[in-house]
Amino acid sequence: MTENFTAESEPGVSEDEPPSPTPTSPRAADNVAVQGASGARRSPLHAVGKVLSPTRVSALYVLVAEIIIFSLWAPETFPKLATVKQVLDGNAVIGLAALALAVPLASRVFDLSFAYTMSLAGVTAAHFVAVNNWPLPAAILLALLISLVVGVINAIVVVVLKVNSMIGTLGTGSIIQALISYLTKDQDVTGARLFGGFSKIGQYSVGGIILPVFYLLILAIGVWFVLGHTPLGRRIYATGFNTDAARLSGIKTKRIQFCSLLVSAVLAGWAGISLASVLGSGSTTAGTPYLLPAFAAAFLGETQIMPGRVNAWGTILGVLALGTGITGLSLSGAPSWASNMFTGVVLIAALATNTLQRRPGGLSLARR
Amino acid sequence: MTEAAPAELSAEVPVLDLRGVSKTFPGTKALDGVDLQIGSGEIHALVGANGSGKSTLIKTLAGYHHPDPGAHAQADGREFELGTVPADSSHMVRFVHQDLGLILELSAADNLALKSGFLTRGRVIDWKAQRAETRRQLARLGMSFDVDQPLTAATPVQRTVTAIAGALAGWESGRGLLVLDEPTAVLPHTEVELLLDIVREVRRHGASILYVSHRLDEIFQIADRVTVLRDGRKVGTFEVGELDQQSLAELMVGGRVRAGFRLDRAVPRDASVALEVRDLAGGRLVDLSLDVRRGEILGVAGLAGSGADDVPYLLAGARKVTGNGRFRYADGDWRPTSALAGIGIPLVPADRGREGVIADFSVGENLSLSVVSRVAKSGVLRGRRERALIADWVKRLEVKVASADDLITTLSGGNQQKVVLGRALAGEPKTLLLAEPTAGVDIGTRQAIYTLIGWLADETGLSVIVTSTDATDLIAMCGRVLVVGQGEQVGELRGDEITERNLMTTMEARPR
Repeated sequence: MTENFTAESEPGVSEDEPPSPTPTSPRAADNVAVQGASGARRSPLHAVGKVLSPTRVSALYVLVAEIIIFSLWAPETFPKLATVKQVLDGNAVIGLAALALAVPLASRVFDLSFAYTMSLAGVTAAHFVAVNNWPLPAAILLALLISLVVGVINAIVVVVLKVNSMIGTLGTGSIIQALISYLTKDQDVTGARLFGGFSKIGQYSVGGIILPVFYLLILAIGVWFVLGHTPLGRRIYATGFNTDAARLSGIKTKRIQFCSLLVSAVLAGWAGISLASVLGSGSTTAGTPYLLPAFAAAFLGETQIMPGRVNAWGTILGVLALGTGITGLSLSGAPSWASNMFTGVVLIAALATNTLQRRPGGLSLARR
Repeated sequence: MTEAAPAELSAEVPVLDLRGVSKTFPGTKALDGVDLQIGSGEIHALVGANGSGKSTLIKTLAGYHHPDPGAHAQADGREFELGTVPADSSHMVRFVHQDLGLILELSAADNLALKSGFLTRGRVIDWKAQRAETRRQLARLGMSFDVDQPLTAATPVQRTVTAIAGALAGWESGRGLLVLDEPTAVLPHTEVELLLDIVREVRRHGASILYVSHRLDEIFQIADRVTVLRDGRKVGTFEVGELDQQSLAELMVGGRVRAGFRLDRAVPRDASVALEVRDLAGGRLVDLSLDVRRGEILGVAGLAGSGADDVPYLLAGARKVTGNGRFRYADGDWRPTSALAGIGIPLVPADRGREGVIADFSVGENLSLSVVSRVAKSGVLRGRRERALIADWVKRLEVKVASADDLITTLSGGNQQKVVLGRALAGEPKTLLLAEPTAGVDIGTRQAIYTLIGWLADETGLSVIVTSTDATDLIAMCGRVLVVGQGEQVGELRGDEITERNLMTTMEARPR
């Protein structure tokens, strides 16, 4: 075995060699190649092209396609101003719910309980107006406070007790529904007083557009501003994208996730009050049908305008694209299953293309 | 180049025969034409400093990396392909990786059954037979313990033995190679002897062992031959009996300190103390006290599992501190170490991909994250201010990027690391914590990082605490290195004493 004692020749001082001048990875090559061009100003046309790029606003193209198709398919009923109002009025509450979700979703926390919070807030406000004859603002305030309590409980379950948010809020949602049933004995809250001031919250219209559309607009501006233009928004995104990295960068990630659940609960409460006003009653299950459409819109919104980031206008675009399609289908006399089919197909198509476009989070492979 | 040798089982046919294994990563050649022959029934040690290519070689053998073309591998005289994970359960080369690959929530019986298949009667698991089989497999290795309790309740050595038994599952011929990657790194030293006995037991059953370890004393206790890697090349294969610890260490580091870069900075004696810490504990760290002066770059070194890697995380408040330690920061009052989180000393974390980079953020957003409130005016982000700050840091760190709006994942590892470093520095901290600052970073970028840190320490009085498993980092930057073993300080090196060999021998020391 003596031949094993043959040390190979000295490997030389590899440290002193300059790093390889020829980039070995295609990515590195890209960096070098593009560097020269980076100084050139981009033309305004280029900017417009970037804004309208199908990779950023595919839902806008879906929306345009819907308008064309349904105008041809149902020329008598679809291309009317009334349809525009119908789409806006009919989807405002979905939009409010979707934006309520968007806030925790940006920090990667799911709030599945929002639909039940909507029911709870609607029933509470309706009950205290119709049965207890409370003044409207007091009833609304109480409903929002109760929503806030729901948010606190969600936050404790998810952030403090560290239960997976999807499971935790599914649990709290179930408990909320149980409470509603127990307190109302499954009777919807109705009463003449609900047709007074209470009905104005959701039914008062300006030029045929009901107030919830304006709430949606105001909320969208708020979410757009906070997420996109404040340090808080940047921290929320960082928390959502990589909680560990955000925490190690000094961001109070728990506080952010905690507060985002409070915000979503209160916004869901407001959406629920608006819905009860639109319906003219405090239905014990009013919120439940909003669970899937709101999530669909929020997820679709995440693929729009700033792909990969939950954002306000993307969510609005998602709501409109889905809402217009569903309204068009019903006006065209499509069978009732068509709208659910449509929502499902659009959602999967949007997310699949989005995932394919975005590179998988590339980690450095150079680690030895 | 070599034809597959006739597959007869003779003593001369090595169990494993690797020839010309090279592996190139972007910017570095991790392995360069490495040969390795392991004889039948041999315990063969593989040693080398960090970055020597040791783990790349193991990972290539395990099928995790695909080698550059031209590599040949034979197991027992039969050619096999490197870079693919063998599906065949009769494969000759078996692995126990450092993390053991066990499911700790399950019992030893479950873990072994997951590897070798559950014993069944009809279609139902025969638990009685399963337990008996598990006990038999463990007894073969000279161990017996409760095979039904979850492994979380088992001792480290019991877990290691379970992993070894799992790796050997279905390997009745006895002939073959078991690769043990740093098996003692996380073992308390009282259990090391026990594990070495078990390794000998495996060999007694006819297997060969490739034993990877940082601990040189173990190699002299157990190995027949040792292969030394340095800078991705094989230095040679030696009979252990012809070496001693010192000559082996010299072979590993090249008989000299690597002609590496040194900042060679002197810290003024009268420099004030930036951070004083007493009795820091948490994670694997049991008790460590340290002082770092303004402008000083202090290293903390230790083997895997020593607790050294916990130090920056504990100081950043990112890991839970235990015990009643206290600290004093920037001439403030003494406070309990649990208040470190409130200080928020910035940390460049060890795992860039998981803890550093935010993959969905652009280069700029990654950089400015720590100072977003500073680039805002009355609560609103100011694009121009932010861009100016980002451009400034991109320039200072010489980040190679076309546009700061590009996703950070489009950058090379070294440039990503510069961005993460920039994020920590952007807040203009008085103290900075670095964990593995050059992991996966090419040599040119390393030097740039060293120079920048040194410049900041000189010019702004930045004090730095750095931990690294790569001695090059500590040699290059530090004026003083605390060496940690078993969670406590076991030595201190200053100035020219900080050499790869001194670090290695001090790290081997055990606290009294």
